[in-house]
Amino acid sequence: MSVQVTILDGALPPPPPSPSPSETGASYPDGCGAWVRFEGIVRRIENERPIEALEYEAYEPMAQKTITRIAEELVRKHGLIAMTVLHSRGRVAVGECSFRLDVLSGHRKEALAAMDEFIDRLKKDVPIWKRAVWST
Amino acid sequence: MYPCTMTVKVLLFGPYAAALGARECMVRLGGDHSCAGVLAGLASERPELGRLLPGARLAINGEFAAADRPVTAGDELALIGLVSGG
Repeated sequence: MSVQVTILDGALPPPPPSPSPSETGASYPDGCGAWVRFEGIVRRIENERPIEALEYEAYEPMAQKTITRIAEELVRKHGLIAMTVLHSRGRVAVGECSFRLDVLSGHRKEALAAMDEFIDRLKKDVPIWKRAVWST
Repeated sequence: MYPCTMTVKVLLFGPYAAALGARECMVRLGGDHSCAGVLAGLASERPELGRLLPGARLAINGEFAAADRPVTAGDELALIGLVSGG
C-alpha cells in the first residue's frame, strides 16, 4: 500500500508526466492497469459572483491525519496500488489547481470508485476551508 | 466527579475565526465538562457564533469527538463546522 499526502503553499505545481515509477524504472508500478487523476481547479465564479482567487486554510495536523486515514482506508477497501493527495493552503488564483488526487490500481472500476468516495469524504470531514477573494 | 469550573481553549478556523476575529477563544465550563458542554459554553459566551454553531463538531487532539466525550486539561480542542476543501 502506498499513500502520500502533501499540503503545500499556493497553487499546485504542474504534475509529473506519470505516477511514481516502478522499481524497474518503468513509468507505472508492477500490476498497474489504471491511473486516474483528478484535479480541482479554481473556477472564476463562486456563488454567482466573480472571484480572483480562493484562499485555503487548514487545521493542518488534523487535515494531514484525516486525509491519510481516508486514503489508507480506501486503498484497503478497493484493493488499490497507491493513492497520492496534494492540497493547497493559502491563495490559489482562478484557473490554477488547488487539489490533485492520483489513484493507481489494477483496473479502472476500483480507481474510479475510490476517487469518488475519497472526494466525498474530503468534502465532509477534512478540516480545510476556502474563502473567496472577490473581484473588484 | 468534575471540578466546579474549568476553562478551555478552543481553536477556530474558517467562518468561526472570521466571526470572532480570532484564531482561538476561551470557554468557561460549569458542571458539564464534555464536548456538549463546550459547545453549549460557546453558544452561551460567544453569541457572535450564533447561526454557525448548529451542526458544528468538536475535535479533540485532531480527532472528531462524540458529544459525551469528556474534555480534560491538556486536550487540544478545535471547532470544526462545515468544511470546504477539495
